[in-house]
Amino acid sequence: MFKKIYKVITILMVFAIFLAACAPKETAPSTSDGSSSEPVAAEKVTLRVLVHQNPPMVEFMEAFNKSFSDKYPNVTIDMSVVNANDLSTVTQTRLTANDIDVIDIFGFANGAQPYMKLVDKPNWQQLIEAGLLMDISDQAFVKNYDQPTIDDAGSFNGKVYAVNLGRVSYSGIYYNKDLFAANNVTVPTTWDELVTACETFTAAGTPCMTAGGKDGWPIFVGAYGLTGAIYPDQAALVEGLWTGTIKWNDAKALDMWEKMKVYAQNMMEPGASGVAGDAAPGRFASGAVAMFPGGTWYASAIEAAEPAFDWGYIPFPGSDNADDNKYLFGKYDQGWAIAANTPNKEVALNYLAEFSTPENYQAFANAVGFIPTQPSATLDTKIGAEVAPYLENFRVGYEQYWIAPKGSGQFANPWASYFKPFGTYDDAKELADKVQADLQSGLDAVK
Amino acid sequence: MNYHFGRGKSRLTPYLLLLPGIAFYFIISLGPSLATSIFSLTDTTGLKGATINWIGLDNYKEFLFMGQASKDNFDALGRTLIFSVFVTTIQFLFGLVTAVILNNPKIRARNFFRTLFFMPVILGAVIQGLIWSLFLFPLGGPMAKLFEFFGLRSEFLGGSPTEAFIWVIIIQIWANMGITMMIFLSGLQTIPSEMYEAAEMDGANNWQVFKNVTWPLLTPSVNTNLLLNIIGSLQAWQLFLVLIGYRNGTQVLGYLIYAVGFGQTSGSVTSSFRQGYAAAASMVLFVLVLVIGLSVQTFLRRREERIMG
Repeated sequence: MFKKIYKVITILMVFAIFLAACAPKETAPSTSDGSSSEPVAAEKVTLRVLVHQNPPMVEFMEAFNKSFSDKYPNVTIDMSVVNANDLSTVTQTRLTANDIDVIDIFGFANGAQPYMKLVDKPNWQQLIEAGLLMDISDQAFVKNYDQPTIDDAGSFNGKVYAVNLGRVSYSGIYYNKDLFAANNVTVPTTWDELVTACETFTAAGTPCMTAGGKDGWPIFVGAYGLTGAIYPDQAALVEGLWTGTIKWNDAKALDMWEKMKVYAQNMMEPGASGVAGDAAPGRFASGAVAMFPGGTWYASAIEAAEPAFDWGYIPFPGSDNADDNKYLFGKYDQGWAIAANTPNKEVALNYLAEFSTPENYQAFANAVGFIPTQPSATLDTKIGAEVAPYLENFRVGYEQYWIAPKGSGQFANPWASYFKPFGTYDDAKELADKVQADLQSGLDAVK
Repeated sequence: MNYHFGRGKSRLTPYLLLLPGIAFYFIISLGPSLATSIFSLTDTTGLKGATINWIGLDNYKEFLFMGQASKDNFDALGRTLIFSVFVTTIQFLFGLVTAVILNNPKIRARNFFRTLFFMPVILGAVIQGLIWSLFLFPLGGPMAKLFEFFGLRSEFLGGSPTEAFIWVIIIQIWANMGITMMIFLSGLQTIPSEMYEAAEMDGANNWQVFKNVTWPLLTPSVNTNLLLNIIGSLQAWQLFLVLIGYRNGTQVLGYLIYAVGFGQTSGSVTSSFRQGYAAAASMVLFVLVLVIGLSVQTFLRRREERIMG
């Protein structure tokens, strides 16, 4: 009899242990307003921070985290670094698991416009509406940032959910001043001059351009300046594509595709698809190539790779008219937001407040090369000096507005990487027709 | 009647013993599968706290019938089948040949070779991807040098989608052939040596021995390997993520589901979390795996009954 009872008790215990293992972790007690009770000042706190891979930024954050922990010895920073392509995925999973306190979030973009039909909400809006991002409207440090940035890149329905740390341009080209001088090449201001410059370098045995093609996007983002030179009003471009007044296979677009073909096949070095995104600045700095189409965020990495290297940065001369090539296109880059359900609310807020002090922010802008979003900060960097002449012509770029209609095919984008050797197309007209057909299919589907 | 667990309430004991396992199966496997089928009828984002709306078959309509995107989805479906056919066939043949060779006691250092062929299995997709990315580095990597020797050049994983796709097939086979080989090896070692001795005495040559002794008696291993290879290759997506990323002309259904469900983006392009839509795509993949898996299993079972009796 005892043997049977013992057997049953054993089974129940095993089952109980299993259920206990599946039970949720004990969480900090919540207050009536939904926020968790805060640890006392001396209590040990581990603040979990998520950032995307950008070597100068990661390096700066490591130093900042150390100084923060030195100042607040009870706080340990646990910083996770993920590839930019995976940032939204990791943000989603870790916020849902309540496993993160402070997150790196790109400037709010790709909101639905009145002329768009049946589009999904962008992921930042989904996060806010799910109650996963903290409302930081009343925090004093928010006022350190300029109002347009707060309004455009971190607000929704009148509340502030993120502070954005800087604008970046992605439509320029870095060029090697020594190689230009050695080959008697002048800095190109038109498309023809760029073509001639590349032909000169290639004839001299130096590949014209490289990009971090292993990450995929650097190849086509490198040519966004070309699109910008042809369509300077990028918001109007997106509206025109949606309303049908602009087509990807009209005469103007065909000019863009022809140039993109030259960019992909004659300007980009063979093998660029294997260069990792964070290795491309070093390859350019080594003098292996003459030019490097890329974002301003690469400047620090170029300087770190070869401090004595002499380089310049110009808008991509995609038009035959030099006046059209004076625009820089870009976006709001990294920002900070706080998980609404963080058990470390005070520490997280303090972390952002500390980061946002004018001194720390200036150091950050210097390290990363962002165009500052704090009015008191200055463009002290080399890249700052390079882009200063074009800042009044700075415009938010196409990809920040674009949302593809549901049902659109996979080619409904102005991407140079569709051309061989990175893609399958060799004929500009054929590709232009395919891109427009893929877009039109979506426009027809949502009518 | 002598019943091992006794009479009366004691008879419940085996069921109680099974309970943790069944509960585990429900929580880890069946529950999420059922939830996926329900979520496929909603617009869930997968975010905790987000509103979920019942939208009926809209996700299925979008996936299967909406514009060029649905045609692209069918292309991905076709690509998934092509991937599965090539991976299953080649991995199966290579695994079988390697196992037969390495089962021969005359082969020196066969344990070393078994370990060598099995080693990729334990590396995991990220390490496997890293190794091959370096091997296929187009600016002076080992394969680029080899191509150069023959006057060729290629972008490998970053070039033509067809070529990139072929490389992923090769890498998938390299990564998983060790398991196929080990299953065949274990099957080969269960074949009694008397069978081979008898065949030898009857004057059978190597091919006749393989055809009439080894192959029929390997039937359980053949079935296991075929099913594992087919289902594994239909569901493959990790190597596509690590080696290629989201590129037109290379996506298979498994990767498409991951990219849509978790809002995977290219650079800083903002996308949406669409786990309801991804769940619908998952159900399509599930049906595909179910139909193919059951058909193959039925065929294999009948074959096994015919051979083994």
